[in-house]
Amino acid sequence: MDSESKQSTEELRTHPEHPGEAPTVTSQDISALIGRVVQRDRAAFATLYHATAPKLLGTVLRILRDRAWADDVIQDAYIKVWQKADQFDAAKASPIAWMASIARNSAIDELRKHPARRGAGDEDLDQLPSAQPTAQAQLEDQQAVNSLNSCIDQLDKDRQDMVRLAYLNGWSRDELAAHFDQPVNTVKTWLHRALKQLKRCLAP
Amino acid sequence: MTDQNDLDTLAAEFVLGTLPTKERADVASRRANDPELDALILAWEDRLVPMMEDVAPVQPGPDLLARIEQRLDELESTGSSAAEPPHLATVTVLRNRIRRWQLSTAVASVAALVLVAVLAFQPAQQPQSFVAVFQHDDQQPAFMLTVDLESRQMNVRPVTAEPPTQGKSYQLWIKADELGPDPRSVGVLTNNMTIDESALRQYDPELLREATFGISVEPEGGSPTGKPTGPAIHGYLYPTEARDSGQSL
Repeated sequence: MDSESKQSTEELRTHPEHPGEAPTVTSQDISALIGRVVQRDRAAFATLYHATAPKLLGTVLRILRDRAWADDVIQDAYIKVWQKADQFDAAKASPIAWMASIARNSAIDELRKHPARRGAGDEDLDQLPSAQPTAQAQLEDQQAVNSLNSCIDQLDKDRQDMVRLAYLNGWSRDELAAHFDQPVNTVKTWLHRALKQLKRCLAP
Repeated sequence: MTDQNDLDTLAAEFVLGTLPTKERADVASRRANDPELDALILAWEDRLVPMMEDVAPVQPGPDLLARIEQRLDELESTGSSAAEPPHLATVTVLRNRIRRWQLSTAVASVAALVLVAVLAFQPAQQPQSFVAVFQHDDQQPAFMLTVDLESRQMNVRPVTAEPPTQGKSYQLWIKADELGPDPRSVGVLTNNMTIDESALRQYDPELLREATFGISVEPEGGSPTGKPTGPAIHGYLYPTEARDSGQSL
């Protein structure tokens, strides 16, 4: 790529610092990109990265609260995406759920291994409850978002917070127990009930 | 509580992330050989993933993708030859094709060669749907063009491209050997970045399959000369060989 070619495309106005904000990458696109990655298509891999990395980095960063650490986890996550793309089965999982699970699982495994490395987290509680919907591009299906939010809203307030702190911030049972001032076994029981209630509420 | 119930709760807490470390590791290794557990985990991932709506995207640093790609290079070079990329040849053909367009048009000096990511929609039941991605540079997808070869319906969507500046328009071009040496206009994108979805109906699917597409910046309303006059980026509908490899989504 020479400098002339770069220069000549400058007129195509973009906002590369916010590529996630164009509401245009659909779940189907992500599936297609993963399909190309199975074919060892590096360009498709780069496109997949640009379409999904901001969301996944946001997710991992919220759990680890350390940028360098989160970058490392994202790197590992995309290596796994490359290596495991052929295991993705669109009949069993949405592509977003599949990629998110790879990133979240890596982040939570890391956090459990090195809990002391996590930065200060006073903001975790401030981030709850859910932020207002934004104009940002959504990889999530809006209907599913609404359904889940409405089901979470039906939980007791403490349990709403527990579910969100666990899923979004990576809090362990022990951390939840300390914060909510309950025995760990009670927290476990509450979580189980909350999850069962969510499943019932979401059942078609 | 039944066993099934226990297993589902285990899967749910695994996905939530709250299982104690040892149990979590057990579930992670067990799911590989336990399709029932694996299916329950996938179902919970689907149930809970909408919570990510809450997460504000964070733009990765500019070097992270390069780091990842470098790591992939290392892994691939140490990997077995079985990891040979099956479509390397096709990508090379694609690049040559774009160079040919550049050389064969008078606008070669301004029409930049930009890396083009090309991929095919290949859901098992709909092999006639294709997509081209127009990339600004090695990194940013600018537009996506999807074409259903059967109905010849198409759709252009901006990804990172913003509406053109005042007095400019984006114009979509098609280039194919059968159409002669010059790109032919498909149409001018509206200010809302849309285009007539049936604008490709005059071309037969075989031609579309082999064609290269370009999007250029032109004076408002389109090129006054009938040829691209502004900087262009190129995309190419991925050919169908991929279907023969037995891969499907």
